[in-house]
Amino acid sequence: MKALVYLILTQIKNKLLSIRKRPGIIILYAFVLLVIVGSVLIAIMSGGSQIDKSNVDHRILYLFLSGFGILYVYTFISSGLSTGSTYFSMADVGLLFVAPISPKKILVYGLLRTMGKTMLASIFIFYQIPNLNRLFGYGYMEIIALFLIYVVILMICQTLSIGVYIFSNGNETRKKIVRSFLYAYLGILIVSVYLIIQKEQVGILDAAKIMVDSELFSYLPVTGWAIMFFKGVIMGSFMHVLISLGLFITLGILLISLLTGHKADYYEDVLHSTEITFQRLKDYRDRRNISSTTNRKIKVKDHENGLQKGKGAIVFAYKHILEAKRSSRFVFVDSLTLFMTIGVAIAGYTMKSRFNAYIVLATVIYIQYFYTIFGRLKIELMKPYIYLIPETSFRKLVAASLSSLLKPCVDSVFIFGALALVGGVSVLQCIFMALAYCCSGAVFVGLTVVYQMVLGSQPNRILQVFLGFFIMLLVFLPAIITSVLFSTYIIPESMKFLSTLPFSIVNLISAFFMFYACRNLLDNSEFSDKM
Amino acid sequence: MLVVNNVTKKYGKLVANDRINLSIGSGEVSLLLGPNGAGKSTLIKCIAGLLKFSGNIEVCGNGNKSLMAKRDLGYIPEVPSLYDMLTIWEHMEFIARAYSLKNWKDRAEELISRFELDDKKRKLGKELSKGMQQKLSICCGFLPDPKVILFDEPMVGLDPHAIKELKTMINEQQRAGKAILISTHMLDSVTEFWNSTNIMMDGKIVAKRNRSEMEEAGEDLEELFFRITKREN
Repeated sequence: MKALVYLILTQIKNKLLSIRKRPGIIILYAFVLLVIVGSVLIAIMSGGSQIDKSNVDHRILYLFLSGFGILYVYTFISSGLSTGSTYFSMADVGLLFVAPISPKKILVYGLLRTMGKTMLASIFIFYQIPNLNRLFGYGYMEIIALFLIYVVILMICQTLSIGVYIFSNGNETRKKIVRSFLYAYLGILIVSVYLIIQKEQVGILDAAKIMVDSELFSYLPVTGWAIMFFKGVIMGSFMHVLISLGLFITLGILLISLLTGHKADYYEDVLHSTEITFQRLKDYRDRRNISSTTNRKIKVKDHENGLQKGKGAIVFAYKHILEAKRSSRFVFVDSLTLFMTIGVAIAGYTMKSRFNAYIVLATVIYIQYFYTIFGRLKIELMKPYIYLIPETSFRKLVAASLSSLLKPCVDSVFIFGALALVGGVSVLQCIFMALAYCCSGAVFVGLTVVYQMVLGSQPNRILQVFLGFFIMLLVFLPAIITSVLFSTYIIPESMKFLSTLPFSIVNLISAFFMFYACRNLLDNSEFSDKM
Repeated sequence: MLVVNNVTKKYGKLVANDRINLSIGSGEVSLLLGPNGAGKSTLIKCIAGLLKFSGNIEVCGNGNKSLMAKRDLGYIPEVPSLYDMLTIWEHMEFIARAYSLKNWKDRAEELISRFELDDKKRKLGKELSKGMQQKLSICCGFLPDPKVILFDEPMVGLDPHAIKELKTMINEQQRAGKAILISTHMLDSVTEFWNSTNIMMDGKIVAKRNRSEMEEAGEDLEELFFRITKREN
């Protein structure tokens, strides 16, 4: 045990010491701390807790919490059915697993370490102190309870994933059983919402609110228990808190026993998951595009083996289409398309107005920024082939960008189709917003090229995430100003659907200039597989 | 066929390559030796046109960044860089199409077969072991039948069969009049076929020898390497 305590303490110490040499990280941590302290101070000064609590609809928060719970249960069980989850790193596998230390103690070490990481990752909840205080009148007790239950959900789901992996690994029948339970879990929720809609004659959102607030829902594993816990804290019901904690602890003990049972050898089971996690982290560090690959097993049949088309630079575009086909059955329609379409449909349904449609547009463009600059063009720039192939730089750049330019066009059909259908926004406005979305995509592809030209490599993720917003605003500023002026002073009310047209045109011109200015990029910049 | 003239490559204040000169003729296998951090990989990347440098590099009489030079140049990197979602066969097809090769299929089949990858043609890049990735990377480098071939640590990760096959292929290329530059630490693996050697230290070529010169002087490659690198240390 001494070795494990030493390991944990030394890792913490070295982590803290390493921060000293990284001023950027110090600033980042200081910023996070400042935001949290600021949130607390704002909450205190605004006195939001004096709101009339009888008018507060706590069910909205239950709905959010349930959403996270269901998402985590589904994601972690699904990962348990394929690769499993892990508490360990490759260093643990190589050094700890072979050391003469009890596997149970090593498991405790893994659990504690994961819990620490999960708590740190969940700290974002504290950013919401002012909002939670203002909207629901929550005090520190409720916010800490929310933080704790979020951490518990994540920990349990992670353990559940390991448990599912151990239970079902290599056994198709058991996998089917787990899958059936998972589908039943989700099915019960869908059927319940449907029944409530029928019975109460309410909309889907209200039905969901009624469902998560019901007593029966509180007994739904993991998600329901979390709601029971949080409700218990809000209502001051000690019994609810106790029952929910009891259920979580029982499930936790069951899963841990599965890991440490005398027949189970969790080393072998977590080894594969640890290797997969390590590879993912490596891919992340090496900036390989995780979204362009998939974890599911792909079997390439004889007739599918080949690019079949393209000669010269254009082969990059055909290669990207083939890769997209392998990642998603519907080529450019992937999980991002689905996620954004559902998100936009919900947003459109809940906040029907023309102005809100612009907020939706801004949000999807912001999400698109990250997906484009982490996209396939970036991957090509980090492999030697694009530099070696005997074609002109401009042709290779354009060919390697085509798929990144096409994807937003396909996505926009679904996203803005949903906005028109569910959100009630006019078809014409949706068409022009879709155009704006596609042209923003062109700007982002242009930015990838500019980054490579100016910085000599692709900026790291932290830089992209933190500066991304400001760079985006800067690049979009002329387009936004043109659109606002055009919309305010030139077009009549009946033609307002054209508001985003100047934005699209200016963006298209910007993208063209970016490409043109960097047309010799591959002759003038250096290959670098690092960022 | 390959001329490197006064090439200097700097990373900030660090001089990775300092006024390097070398030339390799037709049918010549030249070695690039040196301890870790000597600047061998940087030089190979400069020749391949992947890095900016000052000086001049010519491949078959053309500037190394020109399209003509790219057509004549093959580069096998130290770390195989493959596409996760393409199969072995698709990597070959991709190279063939990108280089606009004609009648490439038989050659691709032969290369794949020589490296014992023929039963794995439908395997994706991400499913390949490190050794198989290295084999495929070599196949990709050989497919366009380049006149100048650059190898950066080509034997690392290969099994004995593949090492033997690669040696045979290098010999064949040598006989076919290709110019070959090999950067390696594994002196034993290249003793049979090298014609000239360049020993690098701290970004400079500190010794150049021809095989005939060394044989006349009774020098041994390994001894020379250790003597030079030790003295410089």
